Amino acid sequence: MREILQVKGLVKNFSKKTAVAGVDFTISEGEFVGLLGPNGAGKTTTIKMLTGLLKPTEGEVIYYGRDFFRHARESKRFIGVVHQYSNLDRDLTAYENLYLHCILHGIPKIERDSKIKEALEFAGLTEYEDKEVKTFSGGMKRRLIIVRALLHEPKILYLDEPTVGLDPQIRRSLWDLIVKINQIKSMAILLTTHYIEEAERLCQRVMIINKGRIISSGSPEQLKKGVGRYVLEIFYDDHIEERFFSTRDEALEELRKCTLSCRIREITLEDVFLKLTGRRINV
Amino acid sequence: MFNGIKGVLYRELNVYRKRAGKQLLATSLSPLLFLIAFGWGFGDRVMAEGLPYITFLIPGLITMSSLNQSYGIAQEINITRFYFHLFDEYLIAPVTHIEIVLGEILYGMFKGLLSTLLIFIYATLFKVQLILSPLFFIAILIHTFLFASLGTTMAMVVRDHGSQATVNTFVITPMVFLCGTFFSVDKLPYLFKSIVYLLPLTYSTKVIRASLTGGTVNPLYLSLMIIFAGLFFFSAYLAVKKVEA
Ligand SMILES: Nc1ncnc2c1ncn2[C@@H]1O[C@H](COP(=O)(O)OP(=O)(O)OP(=O)(O)O)[C@@H](O)[C@H]1O
Ligand SMILES: [Mg+2]
Repeated sequence: MREILQVKGLVKNFSKKTAVAGVDFTISEGEFVGLLGPNGAGKTTTIKMLTGLLKPTEGEVIYYGRDFFRHARESKRFIGVVHQYSNLDRDLTAYENLYLHCILHGIPKIERDSKIKEALEFAGLTEYEDKEVKTFSGGMKRRLIIVRALLHEPKILYLDEPTVGLDPQIRRSLWDLIVKINQIKSMAILLTTHYIEEAERLCQRVMIINKGRIISSGSPEQLKKGVGRYVLEIFYDDHIEERFFSTRDEALEELRKCTLSCRIREITLEDVFLKLTGRRINV
Repeated sequence: MFNGIKGVLYRELNVYRKRAGKQLLATSLSPLLFLIAFGWGFGDRVMAEGLPYITFLIPGLITMSSLNQSYGIAQEINITRFYFHLFDEYLIAPVTHIEIVLGEILYGMFKGLLSTLLIFIYATLFKVQLILSPLFFIAILIHTFLFASLGTTMAMVVRDHGSQATVNTFVITPMVFLCGTFFSVDKLPYLFKSIVYLLPLTYSTKVIRASLTGGTVNPLYLSLMIIFAGLFFFSAYLAVKKVEA
């Protein structure tokens, strides 16, 4: 598959604080990649630099072999963005919000109406077409923002914590929508999240980011294998110790020696993060 | 081409359309109050720069009201920027910064011209004779362009909604009252006079008043308006270019 995006040595400093401390990766057509990290890890800052909302202090962003900042206008055609926060116009209707996007992205007038109708249907919002966005629930707004980002048929879609603050049921319905976008529209996706389950279920490849650096990257399976398949949890009075083993038998053997209360379970990405950084991703 | 201009205008005009009634009412109220208070109050007994006061006042009100409207987009841009984050939509679109700036300025000019129209209606109601010269149209276009550019600049420079209000209180309101709207600036004491001659509104007022009342327009003043307009447009462009979301 062709490479869409290449990121080289990306750094962002805010006055004294370093938010992104040198990040390198590539994304190819159709890939579903996750950027998993705790609050303040630098996920949003990274996305903003990849979409032209922030200027990097250092480093290069390259779309289809061309420098993003020198060819901003052309490159932006390849990009769809869903921000962490809602950036809909609450005084406009769903239809008008999508129409505005069509104008800004130069979609020909004759195609606009059918594209908007299709997008609203895809989001399950057809009957709300003429309602002002300020009357929408959080889940409806999210769906509208997501399909808006698809109107100009980008090659890569950035989703910055798309399900944050939504209840579990709505989160699941959004997952379905996102998977559909990746599979049916074969669009590459870079999704940031601090939900382990989200990264594990959706992404083919996960990059773990902490303190502005990508500390590990691979498929969820590879990442877990790198640390061990099984976890032995030992429950002390004031904390839980976790030990990692690559086979169940090894873990069992250790369990037998255990005098405190213990249990064995399969490893998750949370454990991977804990092993790599010494702290939990969600505190 | 011009997708940025079209997009910004589409957004602004649609939002305006939805509030048109309320907006027009608000725009028409304060000039009417000034007209009643000063126009009727002083009547023909008072003369200013050789004109009956109400004839003197109306061009001043046109300048003031169109300034308020054109510059007032700063407030609206602030809301789209800080509360709706809609500016991000503009910034991630494949459009240039100039287009975004021009879109906002055209919207500001639209509002300024609308308020001008309103005051022409008042002038007719108050039976004030104005002369519509081509020079007036040129002047009002430059004037609204100038203050819409200033509004756009301010909206980008301020850090939040509150500092916007501060700028209005300390810069815009004093300017509106001192730069010849209600009385001739030549009556001001020397110190004030030297200050108001640094402000663009003074020139707008003089040029617009002269062009509407059959006076002679000083080409220097018109040139200064153009220079101010160019400067503010450039500052608006730089400010939008620099803005990070
Ligand atoms: N405009 C800014 N000025 C100063 N510091 C900033 C700015 N934006 C972000 N930061 C800092 O940079 C770091 C990374 O922030 P960022 O928003 O990228 O994290 P994140 O991974 O998206 O976190 P979250 O899960 O909370 O969204 C944080 O410590 C944050 O405080
Ligand atoms: Mg974030």
